[in-house]
Amino acid sequence: MSTTSRTLSSTPSTALHSAFSCAWCGRTASAVADDGTQRHHCPSCLQSPHVPDPADGGSGDCRGRMSPIAVAVPRTGDWMVIHRCARCDGLTSSPTRADDNQLVLMRLAVRPLAQPPFPLEAFGDL
Amino acid sequence: MPRRAKNTRRRARGARRPQRYKDVLHSQGGHRGHAFRCAGCRLEVSVDAPGTTHRNHCPTCLVSLHVDRRVPGDRAADCRARMEALCMSVRPDGEWMIIHRCVSCGELSANRIAGDDNPLALVRLALKPLRDPGIAQRTRLAP
Repeated sequence: MSTTSRTLSSTPSTALHSAFSCAWCGRTASAVADDGTQRHHCPSCLQSPHVPDPADGGSGDCRGRMSPIAVAVPRTGDWMVIHRCARCDGLTSSPTRADDNQLVLMRLAVRPLAQPPFPLEAFGDL
Repeated sequence: MPRRAKNTRRRARGARRPQRYKDVLHSQGGHRGHAFRCAGCRLEVSVDAPGTTHRNHCPTCLVSLHVDRRVPGDRAADCRARMEALCMSVRPDGEWMIIHRCVSCGELSANRIAGDDNPLALVRLALKPLRDPGIAQRTRLAP
């Protein structure tokens, strides 16, 4: 394994300022965003490898692909991305960064309204 | 070794693997409760729901309880705290899923919506990310 294939979560804390390359879209990004906070996912495709916390009963080496499935808004008002592991179905949440791909984020946010399970016209009368 | 690498690539490139099989534990012999009282609005809810065999949330306020771990109805979690609906997610086949978050331990879980869930509560949840104009303004999609 060369150092260029190292992903974010395998980066030791001593090398926080190094770059990582996304294992799925291949983009190279810095491990720390512009505002000094650590990244949890690729800013371009928003995917990340699954590293379960051993304290939560995880084995710590799933390494499955975490795909973004939803956007959540906690009380603070910032957006959070909910990821789901394609291998073990684990769910995690991670905060968005300013340079995350806004098109992918917006697609996630409006996706429920594209195929509603009931007609939304009835809400116009409320 | 080459064969193994080929298999993993096929799994990664191909369609998503099917959903894992889950026994329906809510019926006979799984656990004793056939109805539950909602932890949020105290409504008495029957586990028989149209459209789903794994109802875990109140149809009125969408609040759930953190009692199960991976399999619905296994009662393996000892947290027992309230789980509030966090956001709405969509499966590739168009099914809406509610993501719940435990208010005590922060655990996340996903559950399909049921046929008698309150549509107004569901749409309010789905529209939550789009309510704040500041974030929508920040997303400059047009070049």
